Amino acid sequence: MTRSNSTAVYITAASVLNAAGTECVSRDSQPQTALPLDFDTARLAHCVTAPALPAGVYDRKLSRSLEPQGARLLYCAGRLAETLRRLELPDERIALTAAIPEVDGPSSCWDAVQAIGEQPADLLAQFFAHTPPLHALMMLNSSVMAHAAEALHCKGPMGGFCSQGNAGLDALMEAAAHLSEGRADAAVVVSSSPNITPALYLRDVTHPPVNPGPWIFGEGAAALLLSTGPAKGAQSALRIAGFARGYSAQPERGVAVGRDVIERALSNEKLCLSDVGQVVADGQDPQIAALFTSAGHALEHSKALVGDLGTSALLTEIAATWALDSSPYTLLLEHSRGGHWGAVLLARALLDRETMESYP
Amino acid sequence: MSPTRIVITGMGAVTGFGFEWQSMWQKMLAGEHCIRPWQPEGVEASAFPLRYAAPVDMRLMPAHLQDHPAWGLSLEKRTRFGWIAATQAIADGGLSPEQLRGAAVLSASGAPAHRLQDMLLSLPDNPAQAPSWAQLMTRQAQVDPDSSLCQSNDRLARVIADGIGSEGPVINISSACAGASQAIGNAFQMIRRGEVDVAIAGGADSVLSLDTMTALYLLGAASSEQRWGTELCRPFDRHRSGLIAGEGGGFVVLETLERALARGATPYAEVLGFGSSLDAYKVTAPDPEGRGAVLAMQAALTDAGLAPRQVDLINAHGTSTPLNDAAETLAIKTLFTEREHYRRLLVTANKSQFGHLIAAAGAPEFMLTALACRDDRVTPTLNLHDADEQCDLDYCAHQAVKRKVDVALSNSFGFGGLNTSLALGKYREPSR
Repeated sequence: MTRSNSTAVYITAASVLNAAGTECVSRDSQPQTALPLDFDTARLAHCVTAPALPAGVYDRKLSRSLEPQGARLLYCAGRLAETLRRLELPDERIALTAAIPEVDGPSSCWDAVQAIGEQPADLLAQFFAHTPPLHALMMLNSSVMAHAAEALHCKGPMGGFCSQGNAGLDALMEAAAHLSEGRADAAVVVSSSPNITPALYLRDVTHPPVNPGPWIFGEGAAALLLSTGPAKGAQSALRIAGFARGYSAQPERGVAVGRDVIERALSNEKLCLSDVGQVVADGQDPQIAALFTSAGHALEHSKALVGDLGTSALLTEIAATWALDSSPYTLLLEHSRGGHWGAVLLARALLDRETMESYP
Repeated sequence: MSPTRIVITGMGAVTGFGFEWQSMWQKMLAGEHCIRPWQPEGVEASAFPLRYAAPVDMRLMPAHLQDHPAWGLSLEKRTRFGWIAATQAIADGGLSPEQLRGAAVLSASGAPAHRLQDMLLSLPDNPAQAPSWAQLMTRQAQVDPDSSLCQSNDRLARVIADGIGSEGPVINISSACAGASQAIGNAFQMIRRGEVDVAIAGGADSVLSLDTMTALYLLGAASSEQRWGTELCRPFDRHRSGLIAGEGGGFVVLETLERALARGATPYAEVLGFGSSLDAYKVTAPDPEGRGAVLAMQAALTDAGLAPRQVDLINAHGTSTPLNDAAETLAIKTLFTEREHYRRLLVTANKSQFGHLIAAAGAPEFMLTALACRDDRVTPTLNLHDADEQCDLDYCAHQAVKRKVDVALSNSFGFGGLNTSLALGKYREPSR
């Protein structure tokens, strides 16, 4: 955690989209069936159809220029719009941070590719004629931040992150820092998993992942609304109580780095692992499993339900904790394919009537 | 308790001027530029509307960098530039592997653009059928392993971290043209709040390919003017017509002053504050009133505990696009309005000399701002012969300016209205 976290930061709303639907589901629900991919039937994944954007939030024409991972992200962000609006904050006091997939969608336009295939001698003319004018903005996938900012009226501090599975943590930490250090009064944290395309698999041919899996990917998105007070009328509040991050590409150092990350995430509350009632982490990851051999925790996670959501995995788990869990302390642990480690400690407190009424 | 002071102790840059910051600094002070005729591979120059760019000249690579591990791995060009720049910054800072074990690594790299040559592999043998990912998958062995299709977008941050054995936070930034500035600003904040005590931060990018340049052209962001030759990047000029793309990378070492002094390092300058904002206006254009830019600069000054009147220099985003330069000038005039301080400010636009490095742009510009604070010398804005009537500040036109620079801002504004501003100050030794 940090030295300057004087103001408490709460999760006050959340939205998700993945193979299990658009509501948070319990991690012990019936797993969804992963299906063979049309471009490689030997591989399984949890794909979703790009959703229609929430009515009344975005420009109606926007969906025409969005790639699917952007559409998923904006769908989840849009569902927070009404809760955010009710906070009645100045636009300049609303931060926006984003966890953006490290693998982009199809940047070359299929129409252009086909046209060039039909008339290869006229490459440039075909390329120009069949590439949409706003194509560059589709490639710059941070443009989703611009769309979200415009629709949700976020003019405060911002940050876009693209660090594989840890990008969600980066975005969360940045947003929490803006609130705790007084630069914003609310923050929208958005994330999307990568599109399931060959690009997701081709990268492993030249650069095998540090953390090798097995991986069944899923498509999804998640968004959180953070504020400096609990949600109005809430019976309980979920506070961000600690976080830490680290990295190791060396398998022999991974467990030590993971342990250090956990200890630092717990240190702000002066806790040790045995004080934590619930741990959300993938016990199939041998390095994570090695960290919990003696603590007696039953690890739980959502991968079996919705696949590995990569960039949006952590925010999806936080959303589920916000919506469904009741443990006083929940520790969420991420270990990315690239070797990033991240931990978040969430604290739930029941609110008395006086506290409930003291927030707008 | 006095606030933690954070200083710059190492710098590395790869630009069209060469493979280290020293030659970039000297050539830019001398009023040189590295913009030259350019054409995409496999396309006749006369057929492509964008004729100029600021590419990295491989002939300038010094012998000692020819053995850098970046050349031995399958990596995108931008990743190689960034890794070399980071290696140079670490060497410049005199940091040993032991001193980097807990370092944070923050890098920005632009969106990966899949190469047209790779995407053409998706065409089926039967021309009546549409291209498909499935077809591409069957030909995966033919995909160029150095291409973005075979790389994660966060590859640069991880190769740097792996190279130095860091176990600290490894963060890849994605905020378009504000990326490298966000990386440096986030590194500054992480050190200040005690998460780490040293960070390697910056970015690298290269958009000099048929695909991405076409996309920039179609968007109307890049200049296809022919009449100015290599002088067509003209920030704040009446005849400016769009950005000129460059490529390269830049990284800096940031650390606490206490740590820097303890190991005998000499700071270049001090980082004083960081601010960011969103235009929330349009994805295709900046807010014409420059309101987002005002918010970012104001936030940086507030973060630094400074008043606008204390600022001597603004290293502008200055893209040479009609919209940006007018909006940025208006923003400066809005924020620095008290006693018309904007009339006493110096403003410079480095992109007139090395083009627009897109996601990496903020890194070398931050370094040049730090050097201005150190040496009291400001690099010029080139090609500003006929100032736009909306652009009426002192832009250091044509030649470098020698003037005291105690406090400066370095601005970076990304496509879609993602704004950052970094506040820097002249390094002063702590009082005993």
